Amino acid sequence: MSESTGQDVNVRTTAAQRATGTNTDTLLQTDGLVKQFGGFTATDAVDFSVEAGEIRCLIGPNGAGKSTLMKLVTGQHAATAGSIYFNGFDVTDDAPNERIDRGLSMKFQVPSVFEDLTVRENLRLPNQRLADGDERRRRVDEALAAADLADVEDTRAGDLSHGRQQQLEIGMAASLDPDLLLLDEPVAGLSVDERAAIADRIRTLNEERDVAFVVIEHDTEFVAEIADRVTVLHQGDIFREGPIEEIEDDPEVQRIYLGTDGDAEGDAR
Amino acid sequence: MGTDAFPTGVLGRFEGPNTVGSGTRFWAALAVTVVALLAYPSVVGPFAAGQLTRYLVSAFLALSLAFVWGYAGILSFGQNAFYGLSGYAFAVVVGNLASPLGTTVGVGVAILFGALSALVLGYFMFYGGVRDVYVTITTLVVTIVLNTYGKTASQVFVGSVNLGGDTGVGIGEITLGAGPATYTLVQPATYYVIVAVLLATYLGLRALVNSDFGRVMVAIREDEDRAEMLGYDVKFRKLVVFTIGGGIAGLGGVTYMAWGYSITPEVVFSAAAAAYPVVWVSVGGRKTLSGPIVAAVAIEWLRTTASVQFPEFAKIGVGVLMIASILLLPDGVVPGLRGASRYFDRHGLADGSRLAIDRARRAVGRRVGGPIAVDESSEVVQE
Amino acid sequence: MVNGLNLAFQYLQGFSVLVLAAVGLAIIFGIMGVINLAHGEFIMVGAYATVFGYHDLGLPLVASMALAVGVTAAFGMVVERLLIKRTYGRLFDSMVVTLGLSLVLSQGMLVLRGTSEPSVPTPFGTISYGAFSQSVYRVALALAAVAVLVGVYWLFTRTEYGIRARATIQDEGTARALGVRTERVYSTTFAIGSALAGLAGALLAPIVSVTPTMGGTYLVKSFVVVVVGGPSVVLGTGLSGGLLGAVDAVVTNVYGQTAGSIVLLVVTVVVIRFFQDGVTGFTDRVRDRLAREGT
Repeated sequence: MSESTGQDVNVRTTAAQRATGTNTDTLLQTDGLVKQFGGFTATDAVDFSVEAGEIRCLIGPNGAGKSTLMKLVTGQHAATAGSIYFNGFDVTDDAPNERIDRGLSMKFQVPSVFEDLTVRENLRLPNQRLADGDERRRRVDEALAAADLADVEDTRAGDLSHGRQQQLEIGMAASLDPDLLLLDEPVAGLSVDERAAIADRIRTLNEERDVAFVVIEHDTEFVAEIADRVTVLHQGDIFREGPIEEIEDDPEVQRIYLGTDGDAEGDAR
Repeated sequence: MGTDAFPTGVLGRFEGPNTVGSGTRFWAALAVTVVALLAYPSVVGPFAAGQLTRYLVSAFLALSLAFVWGYAGILSFGQNAFYGLSGYAFAVVVGNLASPLGTTVGVGVAILFGALSALVLGYFMFYGGVRDVYVTITTLVVTIVLNTYGKTASQVFVGSVNLGGDTGVGIGEITLGAGPATYTLVQPATYYVIVAVLLATYLGLRALVNSDFGRVMVAIREDEDRAEMLGYDVKFRKLVVFTIGGGIAGLGGVTYMAWGYSITPEVVFSAAAAAYPVVWVSVGGRKTLSGPIVAAVAIEWLRTTASVQFPEFAKIGVGVLMIASILLLPDGVVPGLRGASRYFDRHGLADGSRLAIDRARRAVGRRVGGPIAVDESSEVVQE
Repeated sequence: MVNGLNLAFQYLQGFSVLVLAAVGLAIIFGIMGVINLAHGEFIMVGAYATVFGYHDLGLPLVASMALAVGVTAAFGMVVERLLIKRTYGRLFDSMVVTLGLSLVLSQGMLVLRGTSEPSVPTPFGTISYGAFSQSVYRVALALAAVAVLVGVYWLFTRTEYGIRARATIQDEGTARALGVRTERVYSTTFAIGSALAGLAGALLAPIVSVTPTMGGTYLVKSFVVVVVGGPSVVLGTGLSGGLLGAVDAVVTNVYGQTAGSIVLLVVTVVVIRFFQDGVTGFTDRVRDRLAREGT
């Protein structure tokens, strides 16, 4: 039984059911995307594209505009100029929830789970749009298992450790069966083990469910581990783009970081 | 969330994480309350029943705000606007159509008018991107504008009904029905009808709030952006909630006319009047439905009694109550009571009290500082 | 020509009252994001303190006004420590608490001192032109309003406090990391906002009737000005006061007091809806902040 919610587009869409427009190889494409805040240009005519099934990492010094670009893609910021295409559709004027229905999903930079709800109730929310009754319960159980949270399903989400909250939030985002999942700093402040678990999660979702990723991260080791390609942002525009090996060795990239971020071989310093 | 073995099938719809109270104990208590309410007029007589009717009318307003604020995070000073507009609409329809059928239609029109005003204002605000605090300010301003205008609208006619400026407008009797089958509503029948309608509204909201829809509302209250990024159309849902809230306030407006037969701008649209629902819901507990009802009745009763005995101190008392309730029991009295009841359930009365006193002593001791103040019953060994 | 002059005087007074009443609220709302629904009562306290100083203590008018400012500032500090501090981050709760406070203060004053106070004489006398005479005080009031705006500007750009306060609005986390004691900034801000409210009350005492419930009208006026003005405290309050003062003066002159009030309120709602940025761009500032903290 489909729950009618007015403006929601294609309420019950799973990856299989979702229609795609033309050109299904390029999942996300921005075209001359600009964002200005008053006199300040945060995003400067960016042409950013992501292929289906890719894991892309977005890196760059602080103030480069990474989160702004991500929020433009999700629709939380309205673009000053330019367009955004997703799954072949022009989503430039779409509201965030409409883009979610097209197959987009995100995890916020600041952990944003519903703290007063239990883990189970948190996972119920994305799933209740897509399924009812037993099917819903099954999806929530699966999500709990995949995020390794089955043992704390009745715990208040606010009481979880930081790492588990990140897993929960990724689990919630993944429950929407997205084609593209945007992660804003998923491993900030986590231990080595927790980072490994998140990297694992990303790879599993990518391989088993064909989810593409755009991950904003500062940890170069983590980036090296999961990225297919890396996009370097600087002062609101794309500075370099390419496979991780090229970017690691690029002296220009190291320079824009002013040595504040280590390179993968950092021990020489 | 299984509790006592009561037929959770039917009643299960009315229980859930978003309301306080479930299981046999709760429903039994509710049944007792309803019986007591129904017996009240016979016990205390028509005058007291009439007083309680007035307080029960306030409960509709309280529910309306509890729904909109507690379950969608929209602090609105505008429920009074919809309440008052509905009352006026009822008077206008009844005055113009002067017939039992007219009055019956008037009930529906008035409630719809309340809902419609909320729809219009809600659309203007939510789809215009007005957020948080500015929504609150806008609703307050709208209510004040209605008051300012209402007080001057002394020769303004809607059809044959004069809006009456600051003396407002009144109606004669309330006779419902059509053709030969008519019924005139008077006390104590009015009281019983209002109790029944209030109960139905409460149960209806309870079911709604615990449903999937209600869960999304709570998510929107907690973190709008996160809810939106889970694919929910937040603007639309807030509009729906706000409209329903307006409808409930409208229902309150009609019951208000059924109780008092007249309405003036100052009573419904003044800033002071708009503040009271906020008091009731803050004190009663904004994440519950029963709390605000109880608080509205209790506070209105206290306020009216106090106004008679200690007229100057009544308002001061309300003010102090607001401050105290936010600072001491930020979730309101009902959740506070539930918290206390759970605590004592867990530890037992004697142990619970001892534990509480220990904790308090330790908390005070810590502020004074030093190992000297640590309670002997603690396991900490001071080196 | 003469009516024009009348209008001009009316405008000056309208402008001054709006600016003086609102500037305290603008500072508190702008820096702390707190909505003080008892703001009108702070103004009332200032007016009462002035009357008390003048009539009960026999102080000259200026000293009474100074007393009023001091009393209200101190009162503000107490309120901030006891009430406001406990509701930081919970905006709606701070509204409820201050609403309760406003009830306590207005009713409390009614109980303490009765329904109205003896008036305080208006200084400076009058000037006449043709058949009309106008109080010079109206002009003095306008000068005071401008002086206050200039003073607030100086406060925020030239003093230590001002720099700290602006850092805190921009980015509290960074400010704190740089050693700014943001809690102190908030306490001082609230005290300053309260002092300005007290000043408004003091300056108004000679020309309005001082009653326990006078706060209500000034709260609404202040809100309107702050919302329309936007985030820039000096520029926003000034421009907004100027604009709304003009609208109010014109409409009241032609259609009467009630129409004037209604028009102002409608303007507020329209501004909220269509220029959430107020006259000087509020939401952009906030969005700026959000954009920069992400990156």
